[in-house]
Amino acid sequence: MTINHYIFLSVALFCIGIVGVLTRRNAIVIFMSVELMLNAVNILLVAFSKMHYLAAKIINPATQAGIEGQLFVFFIMVVAAAEVSVGLAIIVMMYRNIHSVDVNFLNRLKH
Amino acid sequence: MNELQFKALLPYSLLATASIIVILLIAFRRNHFMIQVVGFLLMCGVIFALVQVRPLLPVAIPPLFQIDGFALLFTGLIIGSVAIVGLFSYIYFEAREENPKEYYILLFLSTLGSAILAISNHFVSFFLGLEILSVSLYGLIAYLRNRNHAVEAGMKYLVLAALTSAFLLFGMALVYMDTGTMSFPEIAQKLSAGGGSSVLFVMGMGFIVVAVGFKLALVPFHLWAADVYQGAPVPVTAFIATVSKIGVFAILLRFSLDVNLQNFPLAIDIFAIIAIASMIIGNLLALRQANLKRLLAYSSIAHLGYLLVAFLPGNMAGVEAAVFYLLAYSITLLSAFGIITMLSTRKKDADDVEIYRGLFWKKPLMALVLTIALLSLAGIPLTAGFIAKFYVLGAGIQSQLVLPVIVLVVTSVIGLYYYLRVISVMFAAPVPAEAWEKTVSPLFYNSTYIALVILALALVALGVFPGLVVEDIRTLLTVR
Repeated sequence: MTINHYIFLSVALFCIGIVGVLTRRNAIVIFMSVELMLNAVNILLVAFSKMHYLAAKIINPATQAGIEGQLFVFFIMVVAAAEVSVGLAIIVMMYRNIHSVDVNFLNRLKH
Repeated sequence: MNELQFKALLPYSLLATASIIVILLIAFRRNHFMIQVVGFLLMCGVIFALVQVRPLLPVAIPPLFQIDGFALLFTGLIIGSVAIVGLFSYIYFEAREENPKEYYILLFLSTLGSAILAISNHFVSFFLGLEILSVSLYGLIAYLRNRNHAVEAGMKYLVLAALTSAFLLFGMALVYMDTGTMSFPEIAQKLSAGGGSSVLFVMGMGFIVVAVGFKLALVPFHLWAADVYQGAPVPVTAFIATVSKIGVFAILLRFSLDVNLQNFPLAIDIFAIIAIASMIIGNLLALRQANLKRLLAYSSIAHLGYLLVAFLPGNMAGVEAAVFYLLAYSITLLSAFGIITMLSTRKKDADDVEIYRGLFWKKPLMALVLTIALLSLAGIPLTAGFIAKFYVLGAGIQSQLVLPVIVLVVTSVIGLYYYLRVISVMFAAPVPAEAWEKTVSPLFYNSTYIALVILALALVALGVFPGLVVEDIRTLLTVR
């Protein structure tokens, strides 16, 4: 598989995520779509990391190039988990207040 | 990490400990007064540490951080603003039934995120700082959770912030593909060596602009601003308007100075269009607002547009102008939001302009402070806002940015209309209103009052003698 395959897969996942956020009305599904986008980026980062490693290995077999991309993925995973935990708490509060998780009901702030 | 680096990080480690200390205090004794005092002292401690660190600079902590004069200036602005926001928070939350103690943990955590943005030098620390800032902001915005508005505002901010941070990561991944590194100086090196196709870099930059534009509430990404400003508790609104924007602007400035964004005319053009659109649309939307919090939201969209004009040249004059602008802007907004906090009652935030009718005849000093703040936002001479705008204009004209400068001048005139409208309401004949509610804590009420008067005096002082700080800003910026 060439790098292009990874890029296509990741861009496709990212676009599905965007479409999900824009069209879905359920707050939890919107959250799932955002997670999909973050994971698309993770695939992309790991693929680029490998790509840079392979390119640098030809010149120097003991190279550490590309390690940053793989490390970044772990940070993204942790942050995504933290974001979801806070997000779900807010969704629960929203359910208690308006008895629904439909974002269409979030329209009271306006004049 | 050697001893010098450890010392240079001291203000930031102290800031990180601040929220842990607050957690321990809550476990030990749930006393709002004590937490407030300890929090204020901790912030004073951080400022003291910043002063101590100054002679050691610049210190690089590879690969994540770079602590220099630039970082020190922005961190100082952030901590100063938080100390004042913390002061407002006491009278605001003490009057409300919800338990306010955990609020301070979140407040210090998101300050930490903002301060990390000011020193970060690498995509990882950029992303982590931004996320620490915004994840704690979700909690802060929705803090008064029994009020429907707060949860609605929190939900809106949450979805959009999560979406834009995915865009930010995608942009970072593209830049990483192009350059094979994530630290700003190395990216700059690779780009100047022409090691990659710059199309990918500009594309990545475009994705990053989405996230940065969202945080700064610049025009195509501004739709959340009015709702969140209105729905969040007043001190949190002040926090979003000052601290979070200062931090994000700091990282934008550092990144573009490091990679020398001037070499990519397409990226600069995008920023110019965003700046012009923000100035025009922000001012036009503010014209018909009857809600002071929403009005300040739209005015802050316009102000960030003005600020981007100082960002466009990408030279030292522009950076100087931007720092001075942020200083004037945060003092101004803090005093305006301070007045809103003091007038808010248990039932309702004082966000309707009609509440201010005849304020001058009932509370002259408060009305004067708000008047000075609004005049400074409008950019009337003898206030800091005027000098700040003057510097921005100077930086823009020096670099021949004709169109943005013309738009800046024209939209400032439009902006005058809605600021003066609020001022004229304050000086109108008073309506016989219900009696003002008794304040819960005279000590903090008075100290907030004193702080606001000092802020207003500072606005006038900076407007008359800008030389007081300009020289210091210039010398600090040379420490790189």
